[in-house]
Amino acid sequence: MRRWWILAVLGVALLGLQVWAAEPIKLTFQTLFHEADAQAMEQIINMFNETHDDIQVELIQGGWTQYYAQFRLSVISGNPPQLGVCHTNKLVEMADYLTPLDASSVGNLLEMSDIDPDNYVAANWAAGELGGYHYLIPLDTHGWGLWYNKDLFAEVGLDPENPPQTLEEFIDACEKIKAAGYYAFHPAEDAAPRKLRRIWYVFFWQMGGELFDKDYAHATFNNPKGLLALQFLVDIFNDFGWNKPGTNGYSQFAAGELGMLVAGNWYYGTAVKSGINWGYAPMPNFFGTPYTWGNSHQLVIPLQPAGTSQQVYMAAMEVLKFISEHSHIWTMYGGHITAYKPEAENPELLASEYWTRSGQWLNEMAQEGLVHFPINHPKGSELEHAIQAQIELAVTGEISPQEALDRAEEECNRILAGG
Amino acid sequence: MFRRLGRFLYRHQGLEGILYVLPFLGLWGVFLAWPVGYGIYISLFDWNPLKGSRFVGLANYIELFHEERFWNAFANTFKFAGMTIPLIIGLGFVFALMIWGWGRSRRGTVLVQSILFFPYLLTVSIVAIIWKWLLDRDFGLIQHTLSRIFPSVPVFLTDPAWALPAIAFATAWWLAGYRMVVLQAGLEEIPRELFESAAIDGARSHHQFVHIILPLIKPSLLFTLVLTVISAFRTFGQVLMMTEGGPGRSSEVLALYLYWVGFDYFQVGKAAASGVVLLVLILILTLIGVRLLGLKSELQ
Repeated sequence: MRRWWILAVLGVALLGLQVWAAEPIKLTFQTLFHEADAQAMEQIINMFNETHDDIQVELIQGGWTQYYAQFRLSVISGNPPQLGVCHTNKLVEMADYLTPLDASSVGNLLEMSDIDPDNYVAANWAAGELGGYHYLIPLDTHGWGLWYNKDLFAEVGLDPENPPQTLEEFIDACEKIKAAGYYAFHPAEDAAPRKLRRIWYVFFWQMGGELFDKDYAHATFNNPKGLLALQFLVDIFNDFGWNKPGTNGYSQFAAGELGMLVAGNWYYGTAVKSGINWGYAPMPNFFGTPYTWGNSHQLVIPLQPAGTSQQVYMAAMEVLKFISEHSHIWTMYGGHITAYKPEAENPELLASEYWTRSGQWLNEMAQEGLVHFPINHPKGSELEHAIQAQIELAVTGEISPQEALDRAEEECNRILAGG
Repeated sequence: MFRRLGRFLYRHQGLEGILYVLPFLGLWGVFLAWPVGYGIYISLFDWNPLKGSRFVGLANYIELFHEERFWNAFANTFKFAGMTIPLIIGLGFVFALMIWGWGRSRRGTVLVQSILFFPYLLTVSIVAIIWKWLLDRDFGLIQHTLSRIFPSVPVFLTDPAWALPAIAFATAWWLAGYRMVVLQAGLEEIPRELFESAAIDGARSHHQFVHIILPLIKPSLLFTLVLTVISAFRTFGQVLMMTEGGPGRSSEVLALYLYWVGFDYFQVGKAAASGVVLLVLILILTLIGVRLLGLKSELQ
């Protein structure tokens, strides 16, 4: 009788073990995506969950404003998600909070999961390295381009199929649009302070300018190039009469009141919904090399608590790989150009309306290395705030461009000096 | 067991009171006292739990006090409070007097009261979006209307002189409704006979306002004042969403500065130090308010 009892208990224990073993590995993937790109990522993750019984991913998406703070706090509290996102330029700030993929506590995850660096755009892959370790798996390149109103172009006698690409063509187009009583050009989306800073970067970079010296010891933008770039930006809103300070380019364009708008690929959905007959072109060559502002979302494994099993790491890598291998969806619906080269040739993507109307041009800029990434420094956010505060004051006419550069330089140098 | 406990409590009557407040004290300790205490503690460290925090004493405070940007935010906070506190309480008081004078029984009173209270039900992000739209240079209703009336109208949210007043006005629109309800309750408490006898004695409306309404509504005024001072000095969401502290840093208030430093630059020790400064500031101003209104006894 006693033997039967032991056998029964063992049977129940084995059954429990089997049930436990069949439980899928549950991962949390926290992103900073919202609107169209959040929906695109949801599509990919839903597809993953439907095709994988052994791994299930819970997707948490939302605001990007506090994303990095939440990310850090989750690592500090020992309860991080297993998957996350990091902008390329945030790597230096965030590296302590990320798992080095080639030197994790369970080994080289890149090798263990057969990730081939050659499948990714070289610049994006290289951006994931720091201090001899590799932290990031490239997801995309995103950035700014030129959106223009084709009907308005035709109305003022411009060729709707040939948007301006040189400074002369650009000035001519702006003057014609202005003469017809429209806003000619908005260079910075909704003119939020950070957007004004970005377009000043673009003008400055196009002239060959660099914002800081190689060691990030000093600011190097307070010079004739920086001044010319800022003067040009200020004049767009003031002396040239192409627009006015304090206006929202998104709204102006959607209302059919604006000829040309510099905006990111994320404007695609709004542009389509607006009913405007729009066209898209690469960033014009204003001052030498037609750089545009851009960045890259990259996939990461946040630093996991000690003792995290190899199974969890490998499951996370499987998800990262799956996202890469299905990233044409990310491009088609989220608008960001996939950094996974085989997916950039996906027939469905190449035939899509998004690709033919705008995506291909952004891809072209990315392939040609014209998408310039922002500052990559541990105090990057503070430095950028210091710059944008003065740029905004110059644009609104409160201070002269030279004064703005003087002030920004002084504050940046103080920040870099650790003050 | 219970009888022994009862006897024990009977002998130590002070303990019974403590037991009653214990649940609240627990919650208060966990969710308020501990975070505040920990915030003060953090403000003395170069906080980095991953690599090890370093005790720096008052260095974070000294760094703050040497920073021009901090003092700019400090001054902006006072400017904002100076505009928004009178606006919120003033508007709330006017609304309350209007409804009270109109009389509850009159038709439409509840509707007017609801309309005036409604903005308070909105979240700060909705309020900020509404006002950003209203003040949009191209499509804003207010901007458009004013430009029809006046030859030159500032672009409120991108003019350094107007950004803070515009946010203060939006804040008053949002918060005045709740103050109205509080003050109206205070007005309802005043016995009508006082007004009748004052009228018989020949007191006019402004005399009644100064000598009856104001003294008797002091407790409600104190409550609204404390509430408004706290909310004015902690203002954050509407500034972040309407101007991001700009143009330049002309509308960057202390809470926003704290947010950038803590959540964007992740200098948590320094952010905690500015939080402590803000806390002390609010505490001092609240006590001054209490003293000025002569309501120490009310609080006791």
